[in-house]
Amino acid sequence: MSSPTDFMSEFTRALEHPGELIDEISQSGKKAIGYFCTYTPVELIHATGAVPVRISGGPMRIDRADGLVPSFVCPYMRAGLERALSGDYENLFGLVQGYSCDVACGMFNVWKGNIPLSFYHILSLPYGDSSSAKLFFEQELKNLTERLADHGLEFSDTALSNSLDIYDDIRLTVLWLYDKRYKGELLLSAGDFYTVIRGVQVTPPERAEKLLSELVSSLKANTEKGSHTQDGTPILVSGSLVEDRSIFDLIERSGGRIVADDLCTGFRYFDPPSGDGKKAVHRLIERSIAHFPCPSRQLAKTRAPLLLDLARRSGARGVVFLIQKFCTPHLTDIPIVGRSLREEGVPYLVIEIEETGVMEGQAATRLQGFFEMIGD
Amino acid sequence: MEKTKKSTKRLATAKELNRVVTEFYLECHQAKAEGKPVGWMPPMNGAIELFYAMDLQPVFPENWSPVCAAFGLTPANFEVAEGMGYSQDLCGYLRNIVGFVHGMMGGDQVPLGGLPEPDLLVYASGGCIPAMKIFQIMEHRFPNAKVFRGDLPQVALEHIQPHHVEYAVHQMKQLIEFLTETTGRKLDYDRLADVVRLSDESCALWDEICTYRRHVPTPISAAEIGIMFVLVTRQGTQIAVDFLTKVRDELKERAENGVGIIEDERLRLFWDNIPLWYNMGLFNYFEKMGAVVVAETYSAAWSIRMDTSDPLKALAMKTLKSYPLVSCVSVETRKEMVLKACREYKIDGALLHSNKSCVPITLGQADIKRALEEELDIPSVVIDADHMDDRNFSPAQFQTRVDAFMEMLLEKKGLL
Repeated sequence: MSSPTDFMSEFTRALEHPGELIDEISQSGKKAIGYFCTYTPVELIHATGAVPVRISGGPMRIDRADGLVPSFVCPYMRAGLERALSGDYENLFGLVQGYSCDVACGMFNVWKGNIPLSFYHILSLPYGDSSSAKLFFEQELKNLTERLADHGLEFSDTALSNSLDIYDDIRLTVLWLYDKRYKGELLLSAGDFYTVIRGVQVTPPERAEKLLSELVSSLKANTEKGSHTQDGTPILVSGSLVEDRSIFDLIERSGGRIVADDLCTGFRYFDPPSGDGKKAVHRLIERSIAHFPCPSRQLAKTRAPLLLDLARRSGARGVVFLIQKFCTPHLTDIPIVGRSLREEGVPYLVIEIEETGVMEGQAATRLQGFFEMIGD
Repeated sequence: MEKTKKSTKRLATAKELNRVVTEFYLECHQAKAEGKPVGWMPPMNGAIELFYAMDLQPVFPENWSPVCAAFGLTPANFEVAEGMGYSQDLCGYLRNIVGFVHGMMGGDQVPLGGLPEPDLLVYASGGCIPAMKIFQIMEHRFPNAKVFRGDLPQVALEHIQPHHVEYAVHQMKQLIEFLTETTGRKLDYDRLADVVRLSDESCALWDEICTYRRHVPTPISAAEIGIMFVLVTRQGTQIAVDFLTKVRDELKERAENGVGIIEDERLRLFWDNIPLWYNMGLFNYFEKMGAVVVAETYSAAWSIRMDTSDPLKALAMKTLKSYPLVSCVSVETRKEMVLKACREYKIDGALLHSNKSCVPITLGQADIKRALEEELDIPSVVIDADHMDDRNFSPAQFQTRVDAFMEMLLEKKGLL
């Protein structure tokens, strides 16, 4: 069995050097298909024999991307474009995006105009959960399969069912890790935890499934040995994508302990683990519609009680919003969601982050003050 | 150079705009007073025609923002919104209307009486995120209003397929059902056909108006763009058709007599993105070097010809098309549209407004810039600003950049 260090190094490498991973996929004869958003139907892409890989941004200096897009858009998206322009994704076969926010959609088109990939496809996703919305969604998925088939990527219901089983298993395992964390039994630092679950999003699913299962065994073995308990003020972090682990390290150094999250690169990627349906495609649709909601697709008044519930279930004493700078959906929801939290006695703090690095000193002071205020 | 300035209007019909705007808001308040249901909605969708067909009053909170900018109310509205926690990085339309409804709305001193409170909130998920979020916030602010939350496919024009149209038609039917139930008014389909015919007629007139931009010198410029107000608020009414007919007649006469919007036209410019509503006078700035802004992208979203034989489908198509036409949903179509306009209107240079308040229109501009240079040899300059928030506009930087750009264009044309 691999040691925890092996898991960490494999996931870290996948996150820090996405180009190498794509090259390996490509060399193995498979086609890697990138995506930005958690609403992308990865299982369907996987069912055609392609390998879905979430596009990484990561802390970096933005240079070439600034020539194509303004500086006042999502730092994650700018960083992802920077990677693409630097050649990290030259062996990517295609890009598929489920329409979520304006920037993701715009960036899809900027990629299309500037990064020569063989396949580009964007889906229109329904916002509602009516039967007509589901029928519409099914048609959009059918469109995607037809377009993939045009590029030699054939789809079958059986293959989709198998792909759903793999992804469901991954999600169940990660949600088991979340459950352990609620209980304070997960002996991983926040930085390591998010390296693992973000690593899962960029690693081919069969490999991710295996690594996760070994990680679970290793964690169980360590728990039996009776390791240390975690300290720090329990908090929930909510926001968009967080790729820079240094903010998680900073939270812990400042006296906080992340017990739950509502992050695009975290809980929202994995919850719910599966969807019901007799046909495989209905399992996919039901899960997508039941998605723990992103503010780009749901109302603040719908999200607020879900966040409160998550805070209560996990024992969080407060919420730290980690928002990618300029993120319209999240920034717009904060006043309404924040008011609901306050009314229920849950304090919150907003920290805006950029892929070009966290303003550590200022953030540390604010975090320390917040944890002192809400701690015992 | 001033940070805020009104434009100089040369068209007689454009000078009538104040009356047209005042009458619209008067009608909105009168409707409320008479008990006619008032519904707030985003712009650019087929619900407008449905409202007029069912004798309901549409009100457009997003379009109230340019009015606020013209009256200098935006700083006060921003202060309220930002005080509530709405980030300064958010769209200026959003911050302005949020500040307005939580601040000065209902006060005695509000120009044009402000906006009447909504009985209905009608919007769709889809369109841009701020447009959707504005209405989610309105749901909080006006908890007694009945809400219709539609579901709009987000699809590039070149990718629209039958199932997108079917779903959009289905949403229109759901909306009719909602309006019937909540207001007790039934839709007369003959009346709807009339309204759609009028809407299409005003679009045809607008298209005809745009053809006069081909004339050298141009008889119309972006400084007169306020005439579009009727396309935004009065689609499907005789009022829009009559007003645009007058505009068309005036332009026809000017074109036939070779009367330009400025006396000595030397450069013809194109404006991409939303204008600076607090400084429409900017469109006159270029005139000092004999330059005129002949056309702009923004107006395209309000003029979509319709198949009047199927009114419901026509409205669904309008709803599907109008936002992608000017946003990053369909960069390819937008690029083609800009190239076509620049070709047809004999454009010398393009002004690309990198608009902090509108990411969907700003994304893709670099590709448009490149296409203009490579395919048409038309140079362009990027102007960093904001359509609502003058704090994001630096007149000195604008002046330096634009003056150099115009000098370059004059030199390129051998006029310097």
